[in-house]
Amino acid sequence: MSSHPPLVQTRKPGESSFCFLLVMGSLYLFWQAYKISGFSELSSPGAFPLAASATMVLASCIVFINTLKRPAAEGVRFVYHCFPPIVATIMALILIYSVVLESLGFILSSFAFLFITIQFLYRRSVLTTLSITLLALVVVYTVFRLVFQVVLPEGIVPEREILSSIKSLWR
Amino acid sequence: MKKTTITLLAALSLTSTLSFADYPTKDIQGMIQWGAGGSTDTVMRSIAPHVEKELGADLILTNKTGGVGAIATKYVNAKKADGYTLLMGAENPQMYKILGLSNIDYSDMIAINVLARGTPIIVANNDAPFNTMQEFIDYTKANPGKVKIGSTGKGGLTSIVLAMLDSQVKLDYISIPYNGDGPALTAVQGGAIDVMPAVLGATIEQIKAGRMKAISLVDVKANKLLPNVAPITDALPGMKSYLPWGPFFGVFVKKGTPDDAVEKLQAAFQKAAFNPDFVDLMQKRGFTIMNISGEEANYFLEAYRSTSSWLVHDAGFSKFSPEKFGIRKP
Amino acid sequence: MDALHYFAMSWLSPELLALTALGTFLGIYVGAIPGLSVTMAVSILISFTFSWDVNYALCLMVGVYMGGVYGGSRTAILLNIPGAPSAIATALDGYPLAKKGLAGEAIGLSTVMSVVGGFVGIIVLAIAAPPISEFAITFQPRDYMLLGILGIMLVGSLSGSSLARGIFAGALGLLIGTVGLDPMTAEERFTFGVVELWDGINPVAVMIGMFGISEALHQLHHMNKAVVKQKISRIIPKWSDVKKYMPLSLQTSFIGVIVGALPGTGGDIAALMAYDHAKRVTKNPKVPFGEGAKEGLIAPEAANNAAVGGAYIPMLTLGIPGDAVTAVFIGALFIHGLNPGPLLLIEQPHMFWFTVGNLTLANIFVLIFGLTGIRLFSKIVECPKGVLIPLIFLLSIVGAYAINNAITDIWWMLAFGVFGYFMRLYGFPVGPVILGVILSSLTDENWRRAILTERGSVSDLFINMLQSPLSAVLFSVIVLILVSKTPIWKKVFKPKIKS
Repeated sequence: MSSHPPLVQTRKPGESSFCFLLVMGSLYLFWQAYKISGFSELSSPGAFPLAASATMVLASCIVFINTLKRPAAEGVRFVYHCFPPIVATIMALILIYSVVLESLGFILSSFAFLFITIQFLYRRSVLTTLSITLLALVVVYTVFRLVFQVVLPEGIVPEREILSSIKSLWR
Repeated sequence: MKKTTITLLAALSLTSTLSFADYPTKDIQGMIQWGAGGSTDTVMRSIAPHVEKELGADLILTNKTGGVGAIATKYVNAKKADGYTLLMGAENPQMYKILGLSNIDYSDMIAINVLARGTPIIVANNDAPFNTMQEFIDYTKANPGKVKIGSTGKGGLTSIVLAMLDSQVKLDYISIPYNGDGPALTAVQGGAIDVMPAVLGATIEQIKAGRMKAISLVDVKANKLLPNVAPITDALPGMKSYLPWGPFFGVFVKKGTPDDAVEKLQAAFQKAAFNPDFVDLMQKRGFTIMNISGEEANYFLEAYRSTSSWLVHDAGFSKFSPEKFGIRKP
Repeated sequence: MDALHYFAMSWLSPELLALTALGTFLGIYVGAIPGLSVTMAVSILISFTFSWDVNYALCLMVGVYMGGVYGGSRTAILLNIPGAPSAIATALDGYPLAKKGLAGEAIGLSTVMSVVGGFVGIIVLAIAAPPISEFAITFQPRDYMLLGILGIMLVGSLSGSSLARGIFAGALGLLIGTVGLDPMTAEERFTFGVVELWDGINPVAVMIGMFGISEALHQLHHMNKAVVKQKISRIIPKWSDVKKYMPLSLQTSFIGVIVGALPGTGGDIAALMAYDHAKRVTKNPKVPFGEGAKEGLIAPEAANNAAVGGAYIPMLTLGIPGDAVTAVFIGALFIHGLNPGPLLLIEQPHMFWFTVGNLTLANIFVLIFGLTGIRLFSKIVECPKGVLIPLIFLLSIVGAYAINNAITDIWWMLAFGVFGYFMRLYGFPVGPVILGVILSSLTDENWRRAILTERGSVSDLFINMLQSPLSAVLFSVIVLILVSKTPIWKKVFKPKIKS
């Protein structure tokens, strides 16, 4: 993709293992595709997945071999250049967020997620973070839940009751 | 500040659970088994405004597609049985058990209303060298492996009509599966397939415009929308034992929903389905209004399940025998 | 003269005019927010406008449709998250432009070209609807299969420097597209017994993950780099630019109309084909494709808006939807007591010209709303990263959930986000993955239908393919493209950059 410098002839740390994993994954998917209907008819449900996964196996092997041929890049460390702690932290936060989203409900979990990540990445006063978080949450909730009627996970907040009691006040 | 909100929330949730007498106290979510623009979607969206008026609450309709409707069915049954989540579906769940798709069908739920039933019809490309059921059978027999018939997957309307046909007369044809009757009917017009069993409502406009021809109505008597099309029993009297049969649309809630909520929903849907606008709409598309609930609905659902399950089982594409689930022979 | 009268109906009535404007405005935002689809918005409007007069309802919905298809480009350019699959190709060159501080110019140009595309679609609808719809329904399964293969060959255009990596990504996409219950036989494919996988993996979830999440994760590497200041002096594109790109935009608009009019394909495939076309006909782009070539921005934008007019062609003349949105329109007409079908134009003669007039009006509103407010939009990119990145995550998660009200879609989105992060890190292009997902079922199903039609005989398939003029043309196009490209096999084994 364009957002990255064009491929250099060196090998980034982790690249060969990644490509190796792709070969292994492709082989596994090929096996799974084979299990759908074997090498039976050309019109069987498994024919197309077999062709696609065979292509994956082939292409990933070529990539893997080509990668091995390249010299390893110097002065590039996996932990620093490829997978820095900040990426790992944010990934973990997103993971926690999506795990608790259903049980805690959209409002509470999103509030916590936004507050923590903005505080962590933006590093301003708590008040600034709090107001940005609330503003964003109100906008997203209004657009998705109220305008487009996407019933977001309610979790422990009885949203529909609150909404209808607000509506009845208004009526 | 946070504490007070939490107390407020707790109080609110408490009052709402206590005051079941006032069902509905909040928006009701309707899960539609099929995608936007499909016939189930259209029927449900056209009745919903009338129901909202009766109930005095908003119905939020959501399409939740997948697994021939099994995903929506599973979702509704995973929710609380409080009458705030409705399943709006078609006939498919009645085949889930024998096809091994799910262990929940409509007999495990409470029927709020079975709104309407469709009539199957067999249509053909205008250039097909046959015009009636008898001619179709004769032609297919004379040219084995030539006629291309569209289908829409196991357990769908097409497969059941073909299974009925198969029980009467053995035909050798090419079956070409499509992803829904919309694309298949387009293929009939374009000549990619010759014949297609479908629901009357989906074909009526095309037949009237002369873009495809009706071969036979899969019913015991002619329909007033197409008075010139002979019922299939004229050519195959043996079909009488299965008919009338047809896909249907219904609204269901999870078992265990409080009686009060069920009654209110049943009353609201019954009144809404009598609305002249709705009745007119359905009749124009060739649907027969049923508007039944309670015992009557259960009887209808059971009859549908037993006919279709055994047909599919005898045609050899069921995963399990209907006997396993105590589905009696028709 | 009746035609003119119906055409002007929505122009002359202040209410209809206002509703079209409102619809278009809303549509742009619906289109821009990933996960909110035009199909969904129009479905909601059906219930909302239930008691209205049908013309009022249609004005609002047509506006949402036209605005929504255009709106997908906004987030694609600004944040690299396409608002809808039809804006994927737009992100490929639009986002690099925004990174150079040219977001305003990119949006301005894409707006003008979207409107040009929209008009081409409308004009073709107005003058040639009946013959095109008759042509469109004659497409046989084998023709759709050939179209699918033609589409898959775009992997070559989207691969960047290493074709082998592109082919891997494309094949992965095709495989992802087959997950779920096989729509033809209900056989389980890669479902591992999980019911939630029966409906497959939603392309939008893959798209949000691969584009949005993985890009945002990469941005974390450069937290301390200052954000790019956007040049907002020029928003309305230079006349010389418009003139220069007009031929390309007209060509891709025609691709858009035809692909949009086919009942089996829509704006997403049209936009990708247009991108490929642009890449093939532009011999010496000022900026290489993928790094902010304006040609790569214009082509898909003109094509996906032209596909709107295209999708209406079979819908208005035959009652056959050209895409998912027109399918919902058919439902809406039915609910309002009209009988959408081949007789619609005889029973409701005003419907055709009313719709054409309304689409034209909505297209003009796209131009107005598209060109105003760009300054504000461009500011989004200047928003501090510490705030923007968490918001992108939130929007991606809510968007993924909104597709089908399912938590599972969030999981897929995140999984593809993380996988996409590593793919990008190690130089794998992510564009072909989405291409594969979009084209998978088209190719798979029609290949099987085609071979079933011939009772499993590949030689019969070829004989019939060469005998039908349409199939023969499509087949020769494929062969021509294969031959005209530098021999692929050489490139596969030599993954070196040219420049």
